[in-house]
Order: sequence, then structure tokens, then C-alpha cells
Amino acid sequence: MGLLECSDVYRKFSGQCTQCGHCTPACSSLVSADMTLGDIARTMLEAERGAASREEVAQRIAANPRLVQAVRGCFFCTSCKNTCFAHNDVCDLIYHARIDFQDLGLIEREAWSSVLVDQEWDIFTAYRAIHGIGYPDLTRHVENEYHDAGTDFDVAFFPGCSLAAYGPELTREIFNAFEELGVRATMIDSCCGSSLKSAGFFDRAEALCERNADEIVQAGAKQLVCVCPGCANDMGKVLARKGVDVQVVSLAKFLSDHGFEPRKPLPEGPLCISKSCQDRDGTYLAETCELLGIDPETPSIFHGCCGAGGAVSAFQPNRQAQQADEKLSFAPDGATVVTMCPTCTYTYAYRMMSAPRDISNKHYTELLFESQFDWDTTFYQLGSMWSGEYGSWLAEVFA
Amino acid sequence: MACDNQTAGVAIIGYGTAGVNAAIALRNAGYDGTVRVFSDTGILPYSPILTSYYAGGEKAYDECFPWSADELGELQLEVLENCPVTHLDPQAHVVSTPRGDFPYEKCVIATGATPTTRGFPEVEGDPDYAPIVLRSMDDAERLKAAIEAPSCKRFLVSGASMVALKTLEACLNHGLECTLVGVNPHVLDFNALPEAAERFEKGLREKGVELRLGQKIEAVKRVDGGLQVTFSNGESDTFDEISVAHGMRCNLDFLDEGALEIDRALVVDEFMRTSDPDVYAAGDVAQATELISGEKRIVGIWKNAALQGACAGAAIAAELAGVQPDPAQALAGSIPSNTIAVNGTLFISAGTMELAPERFVEVREGDGMTVVYIFEATGEDARRLVGFNLVSDVDEPGGRAYDVGAMLTLRIERGCREKALAHRV
Repeated sequence: MGLLECSDVYRKFSGQCTQCGHCTPACSSLVSADMTLGDIARTMLEAERGAASREEVAQRIAANPRLVQAVRGCFFCTSCKNTCFAHNDVCDLIYHARIDFQDLGLIEREAWSSVLVDQEWDIFTAYRAIHGIGYPDLTRHVENEYHDAGTDFDVAFFPGCSLAAYGPELTREIFNAFEELGVRATMIDSCCGSSLKSAGFFDRAEALCERNADEIVQAGAKQLVCVCPGCANDMGKVLARKGVDVQVVSLAKFLSDHGFEPRKPLPEGPLCISKSCQDRDGTYLAETCELLGIDPETPSIFHGCCGAGGAVSAFQPNRQAQQADEKLSFAPDGATVVTMCPTCTYTYAYRMMSAPRDISNKHYTELLFESQFDWDTTFYQLGSMWSGEYGSWLAEVFA
Repeated sequence: MACDNQTAGVAIIGYGTAGVNAAIALRNAGYDGTVRVFSDTGILPYSPILTSYYAGGEKAYDECFPWSADELGELQLEVLENCPVTHLDPQAHVVSTPRGDFPYEKCVIATGATPTTRGFPEVEGDPDYAPIVLRSMDDAERLKAAIEAPSCKRFLVSGASMVALKTLEACLNHGLECTLVGVNPHVLDFNALPEAAERFEKGLREKGVELRLGQKIEAVKRVDGGLQVTFSNGESDTFDEISVAHGMRCNLDFLDEGALEIDRALVVDEFMRTSDPDVYAAGDVAQATELISGEKRIVGIWKNAALQGACAGAAIAAELAGVQPDPAQALAGSIPSNTIAVNGTLFISAGTMELAPERFVEVREGDGMTVVYIFEATGEDARRLVGFNLVSDVDEPGGRAYDVGAMLTLRIERGCREKALAHRV
């Protein structure tokens, strides 16, 4: 190993890049940086070349604002990869660059201190604790005051951080639907670790997924049902690597396969589907459309990151808002924007709080179930918890 | 690095994408022995993909070289420039060149391919005339000089492949009056089905390109003011220059017949090993598994060359370290994929265009795109995507067309993986 931990990855990537430059205009961050993906790999190697110490490498990188922009400004949306004639793997490249950035002390602590989701306290667990949101009765594979540790579940339900934290009633209604469909289910109310990866803690994210996988095995589940495509991707990779015979399915497909009928009609007005950038091959989009009873070719679809990806908001808060605005601008007045990933729903809701639009913003589960996200309350509670009785504790925990 | 032709080590024949990636993988895997690279040029490895951009004025000469001298220098290679290999003796483990013989322990053949002008007739009145081809930087220099010449106004491109179309784009960038002649009824040869090709052709015609499809060049005569071409339909026209893209031929002339198993190229396994366990092949000279058919085929695209080179390098490093190559680093195979944009008209394809009896086509129009899906029936009401064409009138990087293209490519790859898994079970 050289001074950088991931030099091999950069060399490999630069080997596969033609330097055609086609990726750059696909991404506002690459445009700002005026770099191609190959440039990122090459510039990391240049910073390492001839440096005498890791400190010098760090100084060289920090002194290159274009490189910092390109690495920290990535949403992991793969717009650039999709445009790359060779479909080179940008996520692999940037995740590794973030590992080196983290290792070299180039990512400020404020950018990740509240999203260390493998620790006892992160922004989601703190929010849940402060506001009394918990699921001990649903995590049935874990022994607690409600039940012994079950080991014979059909399904492990993985709502993901945003849904579990900000949509407790919706989460419970979805879980109850499993029971109603005759499926024995338990719930994994942990995180897939994507925020850890964004912060450059790749190994910790993998370890978290491994722990989740162990829980799934312990629960005896044959299927892992994910709400968010990103969680499904991360958990699917780890389960496959461990050789665990657990099928990862989207909630939409699971419900379709079990004959679930939506509990309410679709909203009036045009539907505008926000395809999750984590839904790389469009499977979730197709499965969600099928469950909602709409032809995937009929509604207007927009793609790309909502602005929440890659922890860019910690680096450039304005870009998150700009990205959300750009995506929402595809939806005509009166439309309902339907998201695949609850974090996208959160991000759009957050943006629309300060920049209202004449559109409705719904996660697809809100079109299926009676329970809804209550974003006004959520944002109030998120904001007030920093100044209320828990304010000093939070400040200390996330310092 | 100094040249020492007594040390064996690894010989890499060819200094392009596949060769460079083999070298990178060798070093990444910790191999620190001699890596001797035989190059038939005196320049750094270039990207053949960028040659048309250079000719068309979209890239500077220096921008056609993906790797800098410093980057390549870090690999500690012994590069023999302008040193074409004249013979490879797999039994004796010797590479022969005009500069002498060089032993090797393991060898990677990564010599690429050369454009062929087969079918182009001798030019009456100018028998030495050779049409322009496009592959190397020299070729690009010649094309650039030709289309930038003030006297060049009318240009004929013969062929309808990707290379032909990129040549055409370079000419359009220079404001030339362009004609394309192709023996097949549609452009994009074997990469597109008619429904997609027609939309692409419409885009070309709107840019002022004259298409002579289903025709070929019958005769060419040097006349005052250019090259008079007679087409197979009996019509004739006069052009200032002609470019020919009639396919590629593997560069394997240095191999004796029967020295290694050759079909259309060198047949290789999942680690890029040829029929000789110490000789590997990567890139346009390798015939490896194509995932949709399951057959060994040449998939002559940049990414494939890079991955194959990397696979060969890693496997060699393992073997030279006395261990078996890691099965996780094997290259199960690849699927053909292509993306081309000609002055704003975008074409993306992946998978097969072969319409076997169990396959059927669906065409969908919308969002400014035509998407042609090729499905394979896999059972009652079950099907898998095995290929697609996408044509968009807009080339918007990061736009919907690219998202759909990537999405469908991933879906084909996933289908191949699932099929392979099912076969294993």
C-alpha cells in the first residue's frame, strides 16, 4: 500500500477510462470541478506521487478545490456512469476516494457526527428516542419484554431509517399488512449504512450490513423485504457475499405477489414518478408501477438524485436544494410526485417547506396505505429537539 | 527502464488498453518482476475511441492519450517502442522482434485489430491511392488533414459501422458535404434493428447526410477535381476524399498456424488463457465468452479490452506467485454494448440483435426516444430482455435516454447472471 489506502482502485479506474469527457456534463458537480471521472482517479494518484508523507498528500488534495468538489459533491446518483460509454463504476471510485478523504482528515466531523448509524446514537435513533418511536414489539427475532426471540419467520421487514423514524404509523400499518397476508414477519429496524459510506466509513457500513444479515439469519427469514432500493442493494450484496440463502425483494413486489390490494384509490391528477437513483436497473420502478396498477410507460418519470445522496448537503447545502428544485420542476402543477425511497420523500418535503409548490409529494406506500407521513410535525420535532430539554445532550453526543 | 533481453518475466505484446490494463493489474497484484511491453509505435498508448474526436476538432492531440508518461512510468515497465513482434514461439517461450529474441514466463497478446479495406476497388488512374481508415493516431492525423484541407468539400464514407459514423461526424463538424454508402439496408450494421436504425438515419438526413444504403462502391476513378465513384446502382458522383470502414482484422500475423487455437481470434477461457497455459490474450484479439449466446465471440469494445487485460494481469500475477487465480477475478463474460452520438442523435445498444425463433421484438416510442426491446421467451408468460436499441433525437448527458440505456443494460446483465445461476443449479 502507498500513502493512499485506495491507490489500486484509482489505477484500475484510470485504466478503464478513455478520458472522452462525456461524463462531465452529466453532473453539476463534475461541471463545477471541470473534471472527468478519470481525472478524479488520476488526480488522486498525482497527489500521492512524490509526496513524502500522508500529511503532504492531504495538503495536496486540500489545495485542489476541483478535486475536493468532485469527490465531496457526488450524489452517487450514477448519472455520469449512465452517460459514460464504458459505464465505468463511479460509485466504487468515489466511495474509495471518500475513504481516503476520511483517512486523511479531509471530511470535517460536523459532516458525519450525527449519521454514524452503527453507533448507539445517530440522528434517527436520537429522534426516535426523544419522540418515543420504537418497535420492540415488532422486532420479534430479538428477545425483549414483549416476546422471546423467534427464529422461524418467513420475512424480515426492513423499513430503513427514514420510514422507521419519520413514519411510525405507516411503518406499523405496513407491518400489520404482513400479518394480514398470512406472513410471519419480524422487523429489522436498523440502517443499511449508506450514510457511513458517504462519509468514507466503508468498512463500518459493511460491518453494519453484516450484523443485519446475521439478524436475518437468526430470524430464519427466507425473504428480506425492503422499502428503499438503496437498502436492498446494500443488503443484497452482503447477503450474497455471505452466501446466505435469503431473497431480497422490494415491498412493492412482495405485496403484489401476495395479492395485496391498495387501501385507497390513486390520487386525482397526473402522477409523476421520481425514479430512485438507487434503482439502477429500474426493477423497483416497474414493480411499484405494477402494484399501483399503472403502466410504467404512462406516467411521466424523472430520474436522478433528489439531493440527499452522498451527504452532499453537509458539503454544499445549497446544492441539495438546487437538486431537489431541479427534480421537482419536472412535475406539473397539480401532480403527485411519487417517490420510491422514503429519504427522497423527506428531501422533497423539506425543500417544499421553504419553497412551496402546487404539487403533492408522496412515498408510494402512502398511496397504498391509510397512514401518511406528517412532515410538518416531523420537521417541527426535528428542529425543536436541538433547543429543547435534549438540546445539550444532542450537542454533546454529536459534537 | 533499461532493456535486458535475458530476463524472462511477463511479455505484453501490444501497448493499448488491454496491454496497459494487464500491466496495471500485474502491479496491483504485487508482481514486481520484469514486465516487457512490445509496442509497434513510438507514442504513448492512445484511445482509438478518441481518434474521431481529434480528427473532428473536438479534442486536441494530447487529449487522446488516457495515461500520462508519469502514470505509465510508475508501472516500471520495460517498453520497447517501435518494436513490432515478428514471431511468437509459445513452446520455446520466446518473442522475436527486429531487435532480437526475448524470453518470457507468461505472455499477454494484446495486439488489437487493424481496419480492413476489403471490397474497395483499385482506383483507376491512381493505383497507389489508399482510402482513409480510422483506428490509429496516424489514421486520425490523415483524416484530420484531409477534412481540414480547403480543397475538401465533399466526402464519402463507405461502411455504416460505429467507426464509419464517427468518421462521418468528424466530417460534419468541419462542414463537409457528406455521403455514406453501406451495403446493408440500414446504418449501424449488426448493432441495430431496422426500427431503431431508421430513426437514426432520419437524424442523419436532417443533418444533410446523403445516405446510399443497400449500395456499395463498384469503381473509383481519379479525375480532375477528385475521385469519381460509381455505385452499385449505376449512379456516380465525385468526392474529394473517401474513408472506408469495412471492418477489422485481428493482428495475429506473428503466430504460426496451429501455434495457438484460433477461431475468429484467439480462443480464451475465463482467465483469458489461450490454448497455451502461458499465453493470454485480451482485447480485439481475444474470443471470450459472450454472455447472451454463451458462445466465444469477439466483443471489440474498449471496456471489454480493459477488463480482459486486467483479468489476464491478475491471473498471471497469481500464477507467478505460485497460486491458482482467484475465481472471483475470473471474467465470466461480457455483453456487446455500444453508444454513439452523431451531432446530437444518440444511439445506445446492448445485448444481442439476433432474432432467434424464441425471440421477439417490442418497439416503444415516447419521451423523444424510440426503444426497441428484444426479448427471449423463457417459459409461459416469462421473458427476459436480451437486447435493446435506443435512439434519441437529443444527446443530453445525464438525461433520460442515458438513464434508460443504463437501466436496460443492467437488466440484460442481470438476466444473464440469473440464467447462468439457473444452469448451475
